[in-house]
Amino acid sequence: MTDLAEPAPAALAEPRTRVSATLADDAHLIAACRRGEARAMEMLYHQYKRRVFGMAHRIVGGSDAEEVAQEVFVRVFRGLASFRGDSALSTWIYRLTVNAALSHLARRGRRQEIGDDGLTELPAPQPAERDSALAARIETAMAQLPAGYRAILVLHDIEGLSHEECAAILDCRIGTCKSQLHKARARMRELLGPNIGPTP
Amino acid sequence: MTMCEKIRPQLTAYLDGELADDPGSVVRGHLRECAACRQIARDEAALRDALRMLAPVDPPASLWAGVRGQLAAAEVADARKPRWRRHAARWGRWARSMRWVPTMRQLATASLVAAAAIAVFTWRGQVGNPPPDRIAQPQPEPQRPPPPQHALPAPAIVPSPPSADDVTADLIAEPARTTATYARAIEELMTVAEETRARWSDGDKAAFDAHIAGLRDAITRAGPPRAVQRAQRSLIRYLQGAVVRDDVMLASGGTR
Repeated sequence: MTDLAEPAPAALAEPRTRVSATLADDAHLIAACRRGEARAMEMLYHQYKRRVFGMAHRIVGGSDAEEVAQEVFVRVFRGLASFRGDSALSTWIYRLTVNAALSHLARRGRRQEIGDDGLTELPAPQPAERDSALAARIETAMAQLPAGYRAILVLHDIEGLSHEECAAILDCRIGTCKSQLHKARARMRELLGPNIGPTP
Repeated sequence: MTMCEKIRPQLTAYLDGELADDPGSVVRGHLRECAACRQIARDEAALRDALRMLAPVDPPASLWAGVRGQLAAAEVADARKPRWRRHAARWGRWARSMRWVPTMRQLATASLVAAAAIAVFTWRGQVGNPPPDRIAQPQPEPQRPPPPQHALPAPAIVPSPPSADDVTADLIAEPARTTATYARAIEELMTVAEETRARWSDGDKAAFDAHIAGLRDAITRAGPPRAVQRAQRSLIRYLQGAVVRDDVMLASGGTR
């Protein structure tokens, strides 16, 4: 017979929804960037630099994040002419970032296979400074995940995007996105070991 | 299939607030009864919360300069492209933006039209050319009157100085400048590391030296400037890590 009073309801893990990022009207900013206005370009860069660099950092690691982020921003500014506005600007930039990061990993894999890079023996990217031991463990575990799992964790859990947005960015179905997130979190739990959270 | 096997795949959706009403109630009910699933849910919730709380990673200050440099280089390259290539690129962008993919039939038609156009131009060229005996002969140039004696001497042609807006030279020098900046940062960090290594154990010193030698070797072996810079950044990060770890160790009162 189970005692329904135990554990107390407060001890159950709480469901929590995330508010999706509001889609700002970027039309003016895009138009100014397309005219080559330096201030507008700098504004757009500052608006997205942390998200682009953070995503690149977590998907490809610290060593190549700057290179990937640079490639993404160049593609953004050069590609604004063909941006039709079918999706939000942020979604488009995220998609460019994920694609650039995954392509970079594929290229890096090929370079390492043929061994012409000389960096194959380098250790995995060091986790950056974190304010807690758990955060450092999480960064280390994330570095061991397959790139696709890292991408969905970064988009959904770190950047806080909805499954609809993640699916648009990753060009997959919402159901696929959900199952990938479930598998990614399960793999993270395996890597982190039991009792990640506080014990009851 | 046990109840746990049914519930566990739904935990992610439940914790993200995507299960309402009856499905959510079923998961909640099972969690009240099952300690193992409750622990998994607790772990996943802790993981989810910790992921949400991860500190943002700040980009280095050099990122914007790098982006601007690459954009300027691309614009210079654009300006040097022949006009037809710029037009072709514009059409390509338009086709991509319209998601227009030519069918085999359209490609075949376009090939036939192109072949016909080439044939017509070739034929017209043959018809339009006069026979060899009617080729216009070059006429001697009429004599020009000598310039008046009082005319001023022609100014000597002086090459114009490069325009201040011409960033080509600056762009060409950019990779070397970046490599030099990284090299200076490496030397500064090496100085700091040398100051702190007095506190390290012999084992740590040996490991540090071996790692530094490996990373320096990678820089030497890297070919193109970007590969050199990538290897330099690896060394910088390793040195920063070594110095920071030492500071943390000191601050916590521990020994290496």
